[in-house]
Formats: sequence, C-alpha cells, structure tokens
Amino acid sequence: MNVLEPHEWRHKTIVAGTEWKNPVGTASGTFQLDACGDYYDVSQMGAICTKGVSPVPWEGNPSPRTAEGPSSMVNAVGLQNPGVDHYLVDELPRLKKLGAMVITNVAGHSDEDYAQVVEKLADSEADMLEINVSCPNVSHGGMSVGTDPVVLSRLIKHLRTLTDKPMIVKLSPNVTDIVQIAHAAVDAGADALSLINTLVGMRIDINTGKPIIANRTGGVSGPAIFPIALSFVWRVRQAIPDIPIIGIGGIDSGEKALEYLYAGANAVEVGAAALVDPTAPMRVARELDDLLDSRPELAAKLAKGQTW
Amino acid sequence: MSATAFMPTVTTGTVERQANQAGRKPGRRTDEVIRASILSEGIYELVIRDPYVACTVQPAQFVNLYPADARMALPRPFGVAKVDDDDVTLIYQIVGAGTAEFSLLQAGDVIDVLGPLGKPFDTSKPANYVLVGGGLGVPPLLYAAQKLSERNDGTQVTSVFGYRDARFADDLVAPFADKTHSIVNAEGNVVDLLNDIEDELSSADHPPVILSCGPTPMMKAVAAWASKRDIPAQLSLEARMGCGYGACVACVVDTPSGRLKVCKDGPVFTIEELGWEA
Ligand SMILES: Cc1cc2nc3c(=O)[nH]c(=O)nc-3n(C[C@H](O)[C@H](O)[C@H](O)COP(=O)(O)OP(=O)(O)OC[C@H]3O[C@@H](n4cnc5c(N)ncnc54)[C@H](O)[C@@H]3O)c2cc1C
Ligand SMILES: Cc1cc2nc3c(=O)[nH]c(=O)nc-3n(C[C@H](O)[C@H](O)[C@H](O)COP(=O)(O)O)c2cc1C
Ligand code: FES
Repeated sequence: MNVLEPHEWRHKTIVAGTEWKNPVGTASGTFQLDACGDYYDVSQMGAICTKGVSPVPWEGNPSPRTAEGPSSMVNAVGLQNPGVDHYLVDELPRLKKLGAMVITNVAGHSDEDYAQVVEKLADSEADMLEINVSCPNVSHGGMSVGTDPVVLSRLIKHLRTLTDKPMIVKLSPNVTDIVQIAHAAVDAGADALSLINTLVGMRIDINTGKPIIANRTGGVSGPAIFPIALSFVWRVRQAIPDIPIIGIGGIDSGEKALEYLYAGANAVEVGAAALVDPTAPMRVARELDDLLDSRPELAAKLAKGQTW
Repeated sequence: MSATAFMPTVTTGTVERQANQAGRKPGRRTDEVIRASILSEGIYELVIRDPYVACTVQPAQFVNLYPADARMALPRPFGVAKVDDDDVTLIYQIVGAGTAEFSLLQAGDVIDVLGPLGKPFDTSKPANYVLVGGGLGVPPLLYAAQKLSERNDGTQVTSVFGYRDARFADDLVAPFADKTHSIVNAEGNVVDLLNDIEDELSSADHPPVILSCGPTPMMKAVAAWASKRDIPAQLSLEARMGCGYGACVACVVDTPSGRLKVCKDGPVFTIEELGWEA
C-alpha cells in the first residue's frame, strides 16, 4: 500500500456548499498541525477539523486523561486549548495555507461562550464551523447543551444570527432520541450535522478500586463504537433526507468510511485511529478514493453535494 | 503473532522509504524482534530491528509499542536503552497486560512500532553528565551513556542508579561510564547517593549536569537537590499517553507556563520549565 506517495484525488464531495477534495476529514481533538504534519501531507485531506476552540484559554481536565477499553479509548481531555484569539492569530492562518477545508470546532460553557467564539470566527478564513454541543468532558456546556432539544434550538438559532458560514452541529450519542435532537438543530438553522461525538464511558483500576481517569468518566471512541455510530448516522439520514451529514466514529479503514457513505453520510472524519497511527486519516482517504472507483453512482452523488 | 490492534500493518522498509521520499517521519510500522531475554526477575530486554529509530533516536526519546491484543487500544511508550547498528534495545518491566504480552515475544516475532518520539536531553555542551535513574527510568539513561561515551570533548559520564532490588543495569552502563554508583531501596535512595558523591562530582574536569529519569517523587527530590546546588538538571517525565506524538493532549504536566504535553513538549523538561525549584 502506497500510503505516502502523491495522490490524484478522483472523488470529491460537497458538504453544505463547501468542496472537499475527498470525503475524509480529521476529527476534532485528534488533529494538531504541528504533530500530524510531521507524518503526512495534511493539505491532502478533504478537511481538517480543529480541536474545540473556546472564548478564552482552557486548561482542560487534570491527568490522567485517558484509559483504554476493548478496541477503544476513553478520554477526558476537557477541551484544553489556547482560546479563540490565539487560534485566529497562530493556528488558522497556518491551516488555511494548506488548502484543505478548515472546519473550526467551537466549544463553550454557556450560550454566551459559543456566541463569542462564533462572532470572532464570523469574518475569519475558517471554511466551516462545527458547533460542539456534545463533549461529555466539560461540566457546563458541551453535552448538556446537545442533549436538550429546547436548549440546543435556542443556542443554534442565536448562533445562526451571528454568522453566514456553513454551520455544522456535532451531535451527541448520549441521548434517548437522536432524531429529535437532529431535527432541533436543523430547524434552528444548522447547515449540516456531524455525528457522533464520544459515548460516555469509564474504566476502574481494580487494584485501587478507583476510576483511572481523573475526571472519572470520559468519552469512548475507536473501532468499538463503529457499529453504534453508523446506526446513528443511518437513523438521522432516514429521518432527514436533505441535510448534509458527516459520519464520525470508529473509522480506521476505507471500507468503514464507505459504510458511512452508504448509511447516508456525505463525508466522514477520522478520530481515534489517528492516535494509534498518525498516517491513518490519509490512508483512509486513499483507500476510500480507490473504493469509490467502483461505485460511480455514489461518487456522483457526493460530487454534486446531493443528500439522500 | 499478528500485530494489529487497530491497524493493518506494513513493513518497516516500505514505510520508511515512503516517508523519506516525502520528507516526513515514518508512521506506525511492523518491526522484527531480533532478541528477547530476561534481565532480572520481571525485567525484560527486547531487541527490535528498526533502522530508522536506530539512526535517528536521541537519548530520552522513546518509541511506542502496540500490543497485538485489540483489547489494548493504546500504545505503550518505552525509552530506548541501546542502539547497535540497525537494532534497538528496549528494557521494560512487566506491570500490566501490555508488558505481559510483550514478555511473550520471541526472536522472529513481529511488533508494531512508532517513533522515535519526544524531545531528547540537551547534551550539546561538554560536561560531567550525571545520569540519575530510578527503577525503569534507568533504560533511557543507558542510551544517554552510550551516546555520551562516543564523544571526544572531555565529556564525562557518572551514573547514579537506584533500584528496587536487583541491580539490573550496572553491568550495562559500566562500559560507557567513567564512574558508576548504585543503590538498592534497602540501602537508601538516589539522593542519599548524590549526597555521598557530592565532592566527587565537583572535582571532575567539567561542572556537573544532571540528566534524570524515574518515578515522579524521585525526580522532585532530585530537582530539589540539584536546584539547591545550582546544578542544572533535565528531567525525563512519564505520563499516561493517548497517542505519544502530540495529537491528543492527553499526557499533560502542570508547569508555570500551563499544561504541557509530556510526549511532544517533553518528555525532557528542565527544573525551571517545571517550576520544581527547591
Ligand atoms: C516516555 C516514557 C518512557 C518509558 N520508558 C519505559 C522504559 O524504558 N521501561 C519501562 O519498563 N517502562 C517505561 N515506561 C513506562 C511504560 O510505558 C509502562 O510501564 C507501560 O506502558 C505499562 O503498560 P502495561 O500494559 O503493562 O500496563 P497497564 O497498566 O495495563 O497499562 C494500561 C495503560 O496505562 C499506561 N501506563 C501504565 N503505566 C504507565 C506508566 N508508568 N507511564 C505511562 N503510561 C503508563 C499504558 O501505556 C496503557 O495505556 C515509560 C513511560 C513513558 C511515558
Ligand atoms: C482525545 C480526543 C479529543 C477529542 N476532542 C474533541 C473536541 O475537542 N471537540 C469535539 O467535537 N470532539 C472531540 N472528540 C471527539 C472526536 O472528534 C470524535 O467525534 C470521536 O472520537 C468519535 O470518533 P472516533 O471513534 O473516530 O475517535 C475528541 C476525541 C478524542 C479521542
Ligand atoms: S499522548 Fe497524545 S498528546 Fe501526548
């Protein structure tokens, strides 16, 4: 497998009016330019989704922040990031130079936090905003917003007034009815949905009887969540045929990415797989590009930005 | 034994060649096990063939080893203890499922590897390098001794190793050190040993520089000892990691300039960077 040789992309996708040179992006929180750029040409990705950006620098949760489970990892990083002002000056210009679509993941503890970040990004060079209302590792904001349709709707309606940029709402799987939440986001003005964020999970050290992660619980991701995440994408697609969807969860091969496209996704993001092999996002993109050669109808649909 | 936790594997040669062509670092790859042996009760030596690590690794840099058992999704980081031509030696203790799996490896088996990773010790200046190691913090210092011993600039190497019981690395460091000292828990700790040899350290040709690796309480004590005497010290830290190469921000340490990544900003930090002055 030629994982690193130059590649001519044959299959693009259009997501909420943005053109990706291939349907594979990096998932938020698992990509850092300075680290990942050492291992592959990140400009070759369909999209780069940044780590959650908050209005002021966040220091995240105490250590330890990770544990593992069967074919999965549990993380409670808690959205450590240097804040939106730093992002605008230091990170975004470097990301933009690359040529991949830049999706800025937006984090907040309150409606006001999200609004501040979105306002600052409204005139920036970011191509898309991904509103993270689904992080299980922060005490205010995050998942608490994304699991209540009324709270979510109020937030997204407000953010909609602040920006014309394509706005993706990233959904949490930790809900009773994902379709209800998806409707709330779309009705409030989301241009696309990405799903899923991590599932709440934990591990306990049986020698001490105590949780391994300092935050006690964390978010589960990796191959173990693939079938679960796939079904979430499929259910939302069945319910809402005309909204662009980015499928996320457990993708570590072109085949798994293809399953998402069949389930109704217009694009995918690769997360935890990149943590166990830095070149995984690029490899998935290339494997998918090859697979799409023998799926002309699917490829045509993606290229036209058609939903399902 | 197949070596896939998450990923299909490709061989070292292919990955290195492609990465080099593209001017990048090779990603995860599969290495051959050249030798596996027991150094002492529960402590193992693993020699893998990895020409890329062998020719690029610097002291205190580490490699990720990936268990083949998919129940273990995360890599295990290990310092490089020695390099001979294309072969890289790691020394580890069995502490849990991953290291238990590695202990079953035999010559001819394969294992997935990423690296070298992290920021090495700064050994640019000639000095009397005092390598202060505790337990399984000793392996990276063995490689530091090996590299430092190759220099002709008056650099000296003094090893100060503290062990729980068996002195598993004394013979390994001896060929590369000008002076070796060690202590087992029953006799005391490395700070006691540093006190004992303090005069000897200041009488060397060059002033001492401490390079240290070991359990956090030990390193804090070493930092306190060194800063009281104005001896510069670089400490190689451990943290529970997600990726090991800087992508996930899981492995942080609190410092006066915020939470830094042990895997990418470190594992080596100075006392001042950590704010660990006495
Ligand atoms: C930079 C660095 C260099 C290291 N070098 C060496 C070495 O040369 N020799 C050696 O014996 N050990 C070394 N360690 C510690 C070694 O990584 C752990 O002992 C090993 O990962 C334990 O794996 P396990 O599956 O047996 O244990 P488990 O407890 O079953 O592992 C579960 C999880 O915890 C993590 N973990 C457990 N203990 C540690 C630890 N002490 N530090 C970091 N993560 C841990 C594992 O990586 C894994 O993700 C180093 C650690 C770091 C961070
Ligand atoms: C270490 C880590 C950090 C993450 N940080 C974020 C984040 O900042 N914002 C966000 O929306 N999702 C975050 N996620 C969730 C991922 O983007 C993704 O939705 C999830 O991990 C599922 O995909 P995967 O199975 O491919 O990892 C994080 C995931 C991991 C593993
Ligand atoms: S372990 Fe992922 S950033 Fe250090």
